[in-house]
Amino acid sequence: MSDINNLFKELQHAELQRQTRRHFLKECSFGLGAIGLGSLLGSCGTSSAGTAAPALPDDPMAVRMPQFAPKAKRVIYIHMAGAPSQLELFDYKPELEKYHGKDCPAEFLEGKKFAFIQGVPKMLGPQGKFAQHGQSGAWISDYLPHLQTVADEVTFLKAMHTDQFNHAPAQLLMHTGSPRLGRPSLGAWSVYGLGSENQNLPGFIVLASGGKQPDAGKSVWGSGFLPSVYQGVQCRTGGDPVLYVSDPSGMNRDIRKNTIEAINEINRQTYEEVKDPEILTRISQYEMAFRMQMSVPEVMDVSTEPEYIRDMYGVKPGDGSFAMNCLLARKLVENGVRFVQLFDWGWDTHGTSADGAIEIGLHDKCRESDQAVSALLKDLKMRGLLDETLVVWGGEFGRTPMQENRNGTVLPFMGRDHHLEAFTVWMAGGGVKQGFSMGETDELGYYGVKDKTHVHDLQATILHLMGFNHEEFTYPFQGRNFRLTDVAGKVIKPILA
Amino acid sequence: MLSIFLLQVSDWAIFFGRFHPVLVHFPIGFLLLAALLVIGKRLGKVSIGDGTISLILLVSAVAATLACGAGYLLSLGGGYDEEILDEHMWQGIGVAAFAWVAWAVKSDFAHKKLPASGFVYLPALGVATILTMVAGHHGGSLTHGEGYLTTYTPEPFRAMAGMEPRREEMTEIKPIANVSEAIVYQDIVQPMLNVHCTSCHNGTKQKGDLRMDSFAHLTKGGEGGPIFVAGKSAESKMLKRCRLPLDDDDHMPPKGKPQLSENQITLLTWWIDQGAPVDKKVAELKADDKIKPALASLSEGENAEQGDGYNATGSPVLSLKVPAPDEKAVAALQSVGLLVNPVAVEQNLLEVSAVNAKDFSDAKVALLTPLAQQIIWLKLGNTQITDATLIKIAKLKNLNKLHLEYTAIGDAGLKNLHDLPYLEYLNLIGTKVTDAGLQSLVGLKTVKNVYVWKSAVTEAGIAQLRQARPDLNVVTGLDEITVAAFLQAGKADSAQLAKEEKK
Repeated sequence: MSDINNLFKELQHAELQRQTRRHFLKECSFGLGAIGLGSLLGSCGTSSAGTAAPALPDDPMAVRMPQFAPKAKRVIYIHMAGAPSQLELFDYKPELEKYHGKDCPAEFLEGKKFAFIQGVPKMLGPQGKFAQHGQSGAWISDYLPHLQTVADEVTFLKAMHTDQFNHAPAQLLMHTGSPRLGRPSLGAWSVYGLGSENQNLPGFIVLASGGKQPDAGKSVWGSGFLPSVYQGVQCRTGGDPVLYVSDPSGMNRDIRKNTIEAINEINRQTYEEVKDPEILTRISQYEMAFRMQMSVPEVMDVSTEPEYIRDMYGVKPGDGSFAMNCLLARKLVENGVRFVQLFDWGWDTHGTSADGAIEIGLHDKCRESDQAVSALLKDLKMRGLLDETLVVWGGEFGRTPMQENRNGTVLPFMGRDHHLEAFTVWMAGGGVKQGFSMGETDELGYYGVKDKTHVHDLQATILHLMGFNHEEFTYPFQGRNFRLTDVAGKVIKPILA
Repeated sequence: MLSIFLLQVSDWAIFFGRFHPVLVHFPIGFLLLAALLVIGKRLGKVSIGDGTISLILLVSAVAATLACGAGYLLSLGGGYDEEILDEHMWQGIGVAAFAWVAWAVKSDFAHKKLPASGFVYLPALGVATILTMVAGHHGGSLTHGEGYLTTYTPEPFRAMAGMEPRREEMTEIKPIANVSEAIVYQDIVQPMLNVHCTSCHNGTKQKGDLRMDSFAHLTKGGEGGPIFVAGKSAESKMLKRCRLPLDDDDHMPPKGKPQLSENQITLLTWWIDQGAPVDKKVAELKADDKIKPALASLSEGENAEQGDGYNATGSPVLSLKVPAPDEKAVAALQSVGLLVNPVAVEQNLLEVSAVNAKDFSDAKVALLTPLAQQIIWLKLGNTQITDATLIKIAKLKNLNKLHLEYTAIGDAGLKNLHDLPYLEYLNLIGTKVTDAGLQSLVGLKTVKNVYVWKSAVTEAGIAQLRQARPDLNVVTGLDEITVAAFLQAGKADSAQLAKEEKK
């Protein structure tokens, strides 16, 4: 009997799957009639423009123009995965110091959700020693001594906020505009919109450090529904930058070239027949891989850099460190790469272990990265690159002014939980003000109280600097136009230079 | 007592007044029903007793009377077109009166006493019904504005009815071609008001007794007096209300309606501060630095909101109008491996880059000349060019950014660059340029950033240029010594770390 039931269910399921939208329109004669009437009366005057997928050029990576003259031609996005604590680094709260060790006020807890905090946690005063730096008087703690020296290059957004308090969705939101999978990343949108200047290098390169990939996986540099040619190309920072890109022994470059040309010719014929844009992607990636065999090892080789430059970043050839990635990022943008995404894992300081402790782990992460990030800004500036290169630094959310009390217990180290109401992101170069700070949080650093900026605002601003109106920069997919900022986002005008 | 109660526009009056739109539907429905039943009965299609019709008429008359009362109370609130209101009132009173007459002559009581009742009945009912429709229409016009009913008449009925083709609603401000010649009130202020204010403050609908559709009305103000004080923006109610938080009940335009942008508020403030002149042009008023970006935004239209800031505060070169580049010249450049692209969509200005053409040399520089007007960003870094190239480059008058890094150019070539009125960025890193060459840049008034790292320029030369041109940013790079100093910054931190570890 149950077998027959299963059969029925299966039939029902198959039936439901047949009920596509087309099917519905066909069956529903009234619907079709009404649509016909509508177009007869001329009220359905939507043109076909905007609904059909835009034709891709033969070379999907050809340089394209933005909607208006850009200030930033390239972006280096430094994502500190795990979310660094703004309260230790930039958002100085002397008042929080006074409440250190006291119970968290009830209004901070009522109706709020935290990843780990339970019950009533204690407040945790700032652990860094703060002072104002540069002519702009930027507050930077002693956790970042080198950044203090370039404070006047940077614009701080100190009242950033987000919607997601878990790493993966928050990282997706930060990089793709949506906390769910399936949307193109900021870098993918950039190369889709602008193409790539250097024909021998990918337009969107990803370098990861810290021992782990981002929690949200490779989707944070994915191309979503954009043709996959626009996804980020991840390069290794130790050993061969790209695995299997070198020729096998016995295969010379001419044979390789002929092979690829033959394959591409077949692919091109297939494309003529079926017009699947993914075939163009495949063709251009074969060609790119061939050119990358020469260009990538060259650009990724830091041994040609003078020793004092390597000292400035604090790198040794082949160490695969975050610092190395900063140096590589400079070399890549110098060679015309459009979007360089750096991920550094290990900023999630809950206080459950020494590595995840604010006073130990966070401090160590700062020591590992501070010099290199600051060196990157100095290096870009002295080469005349900072003018057109936008550097963005930040995590996926902030950290609570309360000390984490996972499972209601006192943790062995100082830590802070995930916090979506307030965090700090900074930007430098490419069209943003030098030595500027926007946004304020309340006395305890819990909420943004002035000039709050959302993740979508940040994205809208980055696109704006690259020459795009985020509301008009769209891609049609599944019957509607999609954009990075979806239905939100406002350009943060006060920070524009 | 009652009259005092009625004359005061009390909360009670408005409260009952607002039931007017509810009550009016009773006489409309019932009178029409009565008329239909009478017609049906006359045609022999409906069999219905006089008693029923009489009851319907009674309800109509009572409801119409109540509606008249409520309507009067509602009108006390003000803000309606006097003329239509007046007609509407008398039509409404007419409906009530004729409904009473029709009921009276139909009722058993009057029917017997009035001899002519038979002749009065049908005309009274007919007039009441027609008046209901007319009054109803006028009521709609009062609430929604005149022409509400037919605004969206589609073609071909529109043409048949002899109506003009429908004009697009004013939801967008058209860009102004020549801002300095624009008349501030007529070309800037009023269009702004037309988009954001006049839908509630116009001839037919006057919320707060205020019209904003002409200068005279604007100066007159509303029920609370004038809405602006010429020369004193801080005391002008109109602006105060715009600046209230969006959630404030007094905020204008009301929450949910399109809001004025920052630039628009800045422009209004400026206009009022300048004495709110009706006929002055932009050029005739004093424009400080604050107002300039807002004025500049006018030439881009309201939709450029997201995209402004570039032509406004960015380089003036971007607002240059140049002819479209010669396609053959562009193709010739591309054929030698240069990237040639407009700086933005619908722009004729070009960016030319040799990032993929490291072999670009003096021999090919002549290819740039036909595009002398269009090229504003030129990247020739890491190419084979020498001083000879700069003679040709000096003719690219609109150059804004020039990359010459890591080329063989030197002082002799650099001297040619004396007449580039838009040049802001000059990259001389890794060239042979010396202090003498650097001094030749003193005359380039627009240049903001010069990069001289790894060139033959010395600290003394940089200091000399900085003295001559304090506004010019001469950027040099780090060397072994300065890097050591930079690394020192982290030393204190490391020392502290060592101490902690000892503990």
